[in-house]
Amino acid sequence: MTSSSILATSQVAKRFGSVVALRSVDLTVGRGEVHALLGANGAGKSTLVKILSGVLQADEGQITLHGRNLRLRNPAEAQEAGLATVFQDPALIPDLTVSENFRLTDVSEQEVVEWLERMQMSGVDFDQQIRDLPLPTLRLIDLARALTREPAILMLDEITAALPADQAEQVFGVMDEWRDKGRSVLFITHRLGEVMRMCDRATVLRDGRNVATFVPREMGEAGLVEAMLGEAAQGPTTVQTAVAKGPVALETRQLRSGDRLKGVSLELHAGEVLGIAALEGQGQDRLFALLAGDRPPDSGEILVAGDPLLAQSPYDAVRRGMVLIPSDRLQALLPQRSIRENLATPLYRRVGQWWGLAADEDDRVRSAIDRLSIDTRAGRQAGRLSGGNQQKVVVGRWLAAGFRVLLCFDPTRGIDVRTKQQIYELLRELAAGGAAVLLYTSELAEIPLVCDRVLVLYDGQVVGRQAAHEATEESLLTAAHGLSSEDVA
Amino acid sequence: MTDALLGPEPTGRPTWGMWVSDHPQLVLGSVLVLLVVVTGIIEPRYLTFSGLRNTVLLAAPLGIMAGAQTILMLTGGIDLSVGMIATAAAYVAANQSPSGAAIAITAGLLVGVAAGTVNGIGVGLFRVNPLIMTLAMSAILLGLFTALSFTVLQGSTTVGRLISTLGGGSFLGNRIPYNALVWGGVSLLVIYGLRRTGLGRLLYAVGDNPTAVRLAGVRLWQVHLAAYAIAGLLAALAGILLAGRTGAVDLQLGVNFVLPSVAAAVIGGTSIFGGIGTYSGTIFGALILGVLATMMTFLDAGQAIQQIVYGSILLGLAWLYARVTSSS
Amino acid sequence: MTVATVESGWARSWRKNVRRHGWTLGVWLLLVGLMVAYAALLPRFGAFQITSIAKNSLPLVYLAIAQAVIVIAGGIDLAAGAILVLANAVAARLMEGQTFPVTLAIAVLVIVMATVLNGIVGWIITVSRVPDIVVTLATLFIFSGVALLVLPSPGGGTSEGFRALFTGSTSGTGSNFVPPLLSMAVPLALVAWWMRRTETGLSLYATGSNRVAAYLSGVSTGRAKVVAYAIGGAFGALGGLAALAITGSGESRLATASGFTLRAVAAIVLGGVALTGGIGSVVGAAAAGIVLFTLSPFLSALGVDPNTAQMIQGVLIVVVMMIAGIVELRRQRAL
Repeated sequence: MTSSSILATSQVAKRFGSVVALRSVDLTVGRGEVHALLGANGAGKSTLVKILSGVLQADEGQITLHGRNLRLRNPAEAQEAGLATVFQDPALIPDLTVSENFRLTDVSEQEVVEWLERMQMSGVDFDQQIRDLPLPTLRLIDLARALTREPAILMLDEITAALPADQAEQVFGVMDEWRDKGRSVLFITHRLGEVMRMCDRATVLRDGRNVATFVPREMGEAGLVEAMLGEAAQGPTTVQTAVAKGPVALETRQLRSGDRLKGVSLELHAGEVLGIAALEGQGQDRLFALLAGDRPPDSGEILVAGDPLLAQSPYDAVRRGMVLIPSDRLQALLPQRSIRENLATPLYRRVGQWWGLAADEDDRVRSAIDRLSIDTRAGRQAGRLSGGNQQKVVVGRWLAAGFRVLLCFDPTRGIDVRTKQQIYELLRELAAGGAAVLLYTSELAEIPLVCDRVLVLYDGQVVGRQAAHEATEESLLTAAHGLSSEDVA
Repeated sequence: MTDALLGPEPTGRPTWGMWVSDHPQLVLGSVLVLLVVVTGIIEPRYLTFSGLRNTVLLAAPLGIMAGAQTILMLTGGIDLSVGMIATAAAYVAANQSPSGAAIAITAGLLVGVAAGTVNGIGVGLFRVNPLIMTLAMSAILLGLFTALSFTVLQGSTTVGRLISTLGGGSFLGNRIPYNALVWGGVSLLVIYGLRRTGLGRLLYAVGDNPTAVRLAGVRLWQVHLAAYAIAGLLAALAGILLAGRTGAVDLQLGVNFVLPSVAAAVIGGTSIFGGIGTYSGTIFGALILGVLATMMTFLDAGQAIQQIVYGSILLGLAWLYARVTSSS
Repeated sequence: MTVATVESGWARSWRKNVRRHGWTLGVWLLLVGLMVAYAALLPRFGAFQITSIAKNSLPLVYLAIAQAVIVIAGGIDLAAGAILVLANAVAARLMEGQTFPVTLAIAVLVIVMATVLNGIVGWIITVSRVPDIVVTLATLFIFSGVALLVLPSPGGGTSEGFRALFTGSTSGTGSNFVPPLLSMAVPLALVAWWMRRTETGLSLYATGSNRVAAYLSGVSTGRAKVVAYAIGGAFGALGGLAALAITGSGESRLATASGFTLRAVAAIVLGGVALTGGIGSVVGAAAAGIVLFTLSPFLSALGVDPNTAQMIQGVLIVVVMMIAGIVELRRQRAL
């Protein structure tokens, strides 16, 4: 393999403070191959991609391209060297038009048009501002732009996430074409079906190291999963327990909002964990925004414990006990303030609570810290805590303040398995204590482990309801793809 | 202001940089002592009660105004209208002086609260950028009080006796200025309020991460409104003390305090982005600027040199803070 | 999937341009309306009045352009007014009693000096990671202090030819509106073209709009900031030179510096430049500069006294910003 290798990394390592993101990675990408980079969340994929695209600089190790040593100090140098990356969030400037973006990066509009035409995207109006274009279109524009630079290695970071099936096909077509030209593609994806179909070889990262490199078709999907998870690092185990259902805590009737939600009705009982299964961008974020009072629905009703909720802001929702754990914990964290201040914030919601400190602040904060076993050693600034501890602080805030319905939007994104398990156990415990929990997680496999029931959301509508003990990752994935699911799943 | 690009925030062991950034008062205290000593070397008479008294007399109104600035900067805001609010309050207090000091002071303070409340409505409810809102407020007040000074407020530019005593007088054998007493009281209230009340918690929280505070069920506009109203109150108080010190009011009274009030807060370690800072730091900042002003007078350095020194100190300390916080 | 709509290309691009540059267009319409109303109010409105508005608004317009360039690139320069005052003081000092060619050379020197100086400010901001507003607050003090050193009291002078360059007349007042309009339009057109049509110019927009995306697409965001501040310095210096040409002498008070800065900030906001960066144009900012300047003579022609006029200016800015805030909120909701 090494004889025809174009790109090679050797013992690349990177740490952030005391957190080790990459221990030592050896990766070789050969000429004319589509190479998959696989790994569970937190395995170090994105750090490696950032290093290869010049965004981050490795602490140790070497990168060689065409046998020459590379020092990439910024993305511009990576592009010049022949490493072009298409990120999940396209690197396009929202306030500029499409053609201004091309001029900014000095690429020929004509060549981009040719590539777009090959991807069946000829109707793009280049005088539109980036902010007015849908994400899938932007990804393809970014891809076309990267291709005009004729890179030796094309790096695609989760490019198919939230991409409609037909556009994903176009991307695959381009990948094939690129391989046929003798160029290489480094393909980062979670979708194992795509790996089996598209990739010549795959390298698996685990815990900051490359643990295996193989031909996917020879390994099979089960083999891939095993390599990614390892034997020791099992995923979270079932924490589901049968609980007596209480009265209805939350009900929605025909919720509509823009073109994101097209009439969603659901019922959530006290003592229950209800899962929402959906691919990215099916309206789940809007559903949670409405429930959390972030914006009012266009039509439809939200009933909390039987009474309608007419929320103008989260204040109204929180007052009725509807509290949100957002996907991005940085949205809910006060990074520069102490753990105590983070936990106590909701205690001072009302002007009447402003004049002093709550008499029971100490007790509430302490009990939340104990219950979640938050590590308080770096407690002066929540931003210095590890990701898992930060998420515990975000959850702990509501333990300290009290609530009726916990809205969890992807609460375990980018969190280690142990903390994940703790959070899931906590959710069950809360439900057992009479709380109602609505849980969306992007990791479908984990829904059956925690939830009592699952709703499947597709294109702004509920398309399936399953009892958790009947649901499997496969059945959920099938349903989550709506009708055209068979070929993708 | 963490950068999504740069990956996870560094975590773990505290460094000396973190320690310094957690205890900025020690650094500031040393700078202050150093400046006092240097000033004393330049002019030995400075190291007496009356010498130091003059510095405090200078620093007190600035310190109170910088308190307003600190509170707002903690929320991620800023108030460029503190100078005009101070002037306006002083005008009204002077105008009401014949009705007695209590009424005069109350009326002056109310003007500050009113102007601050309007700022708060603009920033909190209509989301006008604080720079623009307070800048416009400044213009409105300047226009209003220039016009009023020719009509309603004409002639009444001297303040009553109590106000001039508070602003310029001293006690204990001319050793301790009364305005330091006022400043001391304000300091205790502000420090207590920031540390030991729910509102104080929210002021820091809003500046650190408004989204998080909103999600926690707080109505942000209420916090902004309260912050700007309090800032207006403090600015008005500073204006009244200033008027007491000079004995008379004019339209330029507070104008030259706006930028130094920001500078005092920044020197004291308050972040312009919000969420970090203490009023005790700001007190040091105001005192440092006060000593500098005295030193410049002794050195017979003109306005020009003073401005250059102010600017350099501000830049130097801000750079130091930035280095300390990024090295941790 | 983007499908071409059945609409003539011309109408479509017109609609898009109105949407994108609507604010700029609105400000220019406001300016025209204001001029027409002003003309109708005055018993005589001719070359003299046009010249007067054009030349007297020059310093603020230059400074608004300076501030716009910097804010579009994601910064803010509280010292813009101090650069103006510094250039004004230095030029007034050096140009006194000199011939036209010499004053011209001094002008070039002053512009170059301001460009370098403010470029260094941009570099300090990039390297130190101290917020723009803090660094430029410090340089506001420093630059106006230096200006005061150079010119302790109002004075100095310049050549007659130099005054005519900006004002159209050797005495500073006259009816030749061609030089002031040209000295406004030419630099404006140049910088507007540069910002929209060149790679470096667009990199300023990119840096202000989304620094991360700009960095990822290979833009050197640090360089963009330095360039923006340098250009801001050049225009600040132009403002100082214009002020010298108008009055025939220099002055160097801190209050003048901060007053100019604040009016320039107000002008760019009114002109549609978002303080968050990446949005707006120098063209809108320039028009808003003229509007802000003309408002006081217009209101006084209406019989409003100058103090009320001052208040009206403030209220106008707040109301415009409130409307902009509500519009932005609605736009976010509509997504």
